[in-house]
Amino acid sequence: MTGDTSSIAPLRPAPLAVRRSGVGVGRLRTIALLLPAILLALLFLYYPLVFIIQMSFTQGSSFLSPTGPITTLMNYALVVGRYLPNLLVTLQLALFATIVDLVFGFPFAYIFVRKVRYRTAVRALMVFPMFGALYIAFGMRFILLPGGPATPLLQALGIASTDALFSLPSVVFAMSIFTFPFMVLNIGTALGNVDPTLEEAAACLGARPWQTFRRILLPMTRAGTVAGMLTVFGWSIGTFAEPLLLGSANEQRALAWTVYQRGVVQTDYGLSTAMGVVLLGVAFVVTYLSLRYSRGALVE
Amino acid sequence: MTTPTAGIPARRPLITARRLSDALSHAYIWTILVIFVLPFFALVGFSLTARPGESGAVTNYGYVVDTFGDNLLWSLKISGLTLLINVAVSLPAAYAIVRHTFPGKRVLFSVLTLPLYVPGAVIGISLVLTYNFTYHLTTSMWGLVLAMSLGTFPLMLTPIVVALKDLPVIFEEAAACLGATRWQTYRRIVLPLIGPGVSAGLLLCFIIVFNEYLVTLFVHPPGLTTAPLRVFNQIRTAGLAPTTAALAVTMQLISLAAVLLFFRLFGARHLKGTYLL
Repeated sequence: MTGDTSSIAPLRPAPLAVRRSGVGVGRLRTIALLLPAILLALLFLYYPLVFIIQMSFTQGSSFLSPTGPITTLMNYALVVGRYLPNLLVTLQLALFATIVDLVFGFPFAYIFVRKVRYRTAVRALMVFPMFGALYIAFGMRFILLPGGPATPLLQALGIASTDALFSLPSVVFAMSIFTFPFMVLNIGTALGNVDPTLEEAAACLGARPWQTFRRILLPMTRAGTVAGMLTVFGWSIGTFAEPLLLGSANEQRALAWTVYQRGVVQTDYGLSTAMGVVLLGVAFVVTYLSLRYSRGALVE
Repeated sequence: MTTPTAGIPARRPLITARRLSDALSHAYIWTILVIFVLPFFALVGFSLTARPGESGAVTNYGYVVDTFGDNLLWSLKISGLTLLINVAVSLPAAYAIVRHTFPGKRVLFSVLTLPLYVPGAVIGISLVLTYNFTYHLTTSMWGLVLAMSLGTFPLMLTPIVVALKDLPVIFEEAAACLGATRWQTYRRIVLPLIGPGVSAGLLLCFIIVFNEYLVTLFVHPPGLTTAPLRVFNQIRTAGLAPTTAALAVTMQLISLAAVLLFFRLFGARHLKGTYLL
């Protein structure tokens, strides 16, 4: 039976060849396979985004009023006017977190790729931050609480507990911990593709470590580094656990939380969707840049 | 000019520049790793302290089971359903993306992975408004499940695409030549071979969905509170309590168990190029 089919098989046109010609049934099959994913994305991302973009040009909750929506640009004027500090503090926190991650992440990735043998242990421990910014913020709040574990250290440094707890540095610190693995992942992947002999060659030719870093490593890993920075930045603009649990009144104005407050709690749909659209715009610029720099060769 | 020949002396000094830099490097790695796990262990310590008016520290975990048991069950249920939808959506799509040729493939892949780059708050506000005014899904658990699915299915899609690309097409061609139908080929050949890729996707999605509080805060139906959302609400309304810490520790331990199980079964290499190393 099986002997039969295998002996005649070469005479038939191979099914895969038929599929590659890409007409008729093959095309329908492709569409059927892709349809669930496309529907999910269309119904639960693209349509809702169009919906809030429309809504962001209407006043308050007038989008739903029986007398018809009141069209206005006021929401955007508010976002760059009265709520400008909210936008700026969001960008500031994300920027600082990115810088901290870059400064500490590059050496980490380098050592991890070149020197560390106990990689499984490192990977297992690096998993902890990824469980969520919420737990990191919670844990840090407990650590920094007056009377908490960090109190003796803070006293020795002459910092009041409340100054350390509700402050910009602690928010940035928590954000950096959460996003650190993304940075290390991106830089580490890029570093893995750099041949170690290049560094040895540079050293043999008399380059100092700093020169090797600046002239060899940095240019060769630029794509990964930039992709890592943009990923971290993108993740950091959308969260609110860290600013809310660790920040002072200033950091608590982070845009993501304001969107929730204005939109869901106070039902000012126009304003909150306008904030959402601005946040989306920032995220898209970041994503566009990161895709230009990162490994976009997945689908080729 | 003088130093290179001094590289191989008969007896080496105890402290060389190289050894010193190695020691510093490893110390650096471990310092950062300790900082990583510090919040977790702080919560473990906190969760073992006695509540005011209570004696035993372990009662906190009993309290988690009694009071937060529902939230934990909801979290598990929502995660499970989300994973099912993600698999059902991602497997066929990944197969079409890798094995079929059609115009606009790159664009389509970007369109499908875009949800990863949309901030959670934007997904949240857009979904809560459309659920309210267009889909009328606000009181259903499925609204939350579909929101979770949308946010995470690209994390499932990517490892499967990678696994399929690594799988030579000869296996499928051989199966077809031997007379297997498309479905047989898919079920008996492709699926087992890309198994680790699928599992990697499952792990990533589970960890994200199981610990998700942000989009959940926007779209959760009344009366349904997942465990991470409960943690968030407890901290905001009741301040820091050892019982809340116990819940957070429980959540992280379950997530960690999932990761360790995956490492044991498949090793870390299948997570390469994805969100978790």
